[in-house]
Amino acid sequence: MNVFQRVAAIPKANAIILPAAIIVALVTQVPLLVTLVLSVVKWIVVRPDLGINFVGLNNYIQIFTSVDFYSIVLNTIALTFFSILCCTVMGIAFAHLLNRRFPGVNLARTILIAPFFVMDATAGIVWKTLLLHPSFGINGLVASWLHVPPTDFLGHYSLLTVVLLVVWQWTPFFVLILLAGFESISEELIDSAKVDGASAFRTLFQIKIPAIATHIEVAVMLGLIFILKTFGLIYVTTAGGPGISSTNLPYIVYRTSFYRWDVGRATAMAIVTVILTLVAITALFGFVRRKTREVEA
Amino acid sequence: MIKTKASRRALRILGIAAIWALCIAFFFPILYMVLTSFKHETDAIPPRLFFTPTLENYRTVLGSGILPHILNSAIITISTMFFCILLGVPAAYSIVFGKLKKPDSAFFWFLSTTLLPPVSVIIPVFLVFKFLHLLDTQWGMIIVYTGANIPIAVWMVRSFLKDIPRELLEAADIDGATRQRSFFKIVLPLARTGIISTALLVFIFVWNEFFFAVNLTSINASPIAVYMASYMTQEGLFWAKLSAISTLTVLPPLVLGWVSHKALVRGLMMGAVKG
Repeated sequence: MNVFQRVAAIPKANAIILPAAIIVALVTQVPLLVTLVLSVVKWIVVRPDLGINFVGLNNYIQIFTSVDFYSIVLNTIALTFFSILCCTVMGIAFAHLLNRRFPGVNLARTILIAPFFVMDATAGIVWKTLLLHPSFGINGLVASWLHVPPTDFLGHYSLLTVVLLVVWQWTPFFVLILLAGFESISEELIDSAKVDGASAFRTLFQIKIPAIATHIEVAVMLGLIFILKTFGLIYVTTAGGPGISSTNLPYIVYRTSFYRWDVGRATAMAIVTVILTLVAITALFGFVRRKTREVEA
Repeated sequence: MIKTKASRRALRILGIAAIWALCIAFFFPILYMVLTSFKHETDAIPPRLFFTPTLENYRTVLGSGILPHILNSAIITISTMFFCILLGVPAAYSIVFGKLKKPDSAFFWFLSTTLLPPVSVIIPVFLVFKFLHLLDTQWGMIIVYTGANIPIAVWMVRSFLKDIPRELLEAADIDGATRQRSFFKIVLPLARTGIISTALLVFIFVWNEFFFAVNLTSINASPIAVYMASYMTQEGLFWAKLSAISTLTVLPPLVLGWVSHKALVRGLMMGAVKG
């Protein structure tokens, strides 16, 4: 059978999956394979005189012998880990606070989730100018009230500032999912805890939070996938600086690609990013599985 | 007894006030941005609490060359939304109701592509686009965004289709309805709300996307996110105008987000929990 006959032999109800699958493959998987191939060549686009040469694992060796690269990997891990930690804690706290009836609770929920829908470019610029600007932002205003010199957030605490912004954007996402979790807990479970005389504190930590474990997993998993990709916020606020203090893997791949035009090295870094993502997700999955088994045992 | 009741009540009111204060503090950056966008520049820095509102910033900003970028964003976003639904709904349908040998692996294949960091595809996409003259074109962006967002559409729509009882389709089958007919007469109407919410979410993701936009467009096709990022360096510290632009960029996804967030949560949880 040739390709056409084969395609023609697919039942219609199955064939309608093909257009979607083809375009997804063309935009994601095929380029990934090309990236893998490019990562073993030396090709600097702005130096056509040097040509394109196969260099084996040379790009990878160069990356892993550069001290900077290790601090960038560390930045990426720290940014992701601390952001997710803060998002989880604040997400649980806010979801718990908003999981009750009080006047205007729907409005409170509505405004709380708003930051999630603000685009990276805007979130970054609004924070950089209106809020954190040392002279003209709220930052400067508060400093002048307190008669202290304003803090230079982007200069001195660049990575921390990026974490702050990521947390601001992603906490609402955690709240959305965890709130749905809290709402799905059955009344009887809470009532029986009350009858047993458990304090509100104990009910929260020993009954409610374990009951929404799946929701927490989903939030953390998706948070992990998206926060590892953080790019726009860094681009418009710190531009990875000062130095490389707030550069993460996506940002360094961007710099290496579109400033130095070093295709080989950039793609090698991109492959390392993919591997790191997979390792992080697998590790998280493993951790979750182990936890679940412990609970079941 | 009465006293404790009163003090309990006071405590409750205090608690509610505290919750409200926290939410407002969290929302403050957006609130402050919107307020500043209605101020004269002289009221913006240092910020005055009381001011006479003006629409002047919006007038200036809309007259300053932002319109083509809003138009780019609108065209790219709406087209992507259209193609994602056009291709994603049938794909989800064939996963749920089709005769695939392994519907779950097809689904997980779609899911797995969302794990891929965009940096791992950008260079080949850039090179191919350069070769095909798709750089800095609306079509180029629509293709990339469609490919990147179909998995999300499939993920969400699948969860809504799973709610449709199979018996309904089997009954239609027995009544002699063709597959096309039952798709258009039964599946689509029942999943309509879910499909609309999915479309809105694709809108939000695409409108807000930055990485592909900044790397694949420059002048002609650049959406508002890219314009936004370059505005600061072009115009300097006119914060009331900056706020007006920011507010314009935020408005569409914010409104749609408020409409569709329940569906988002539902779709995500369904996809993750029930596999």
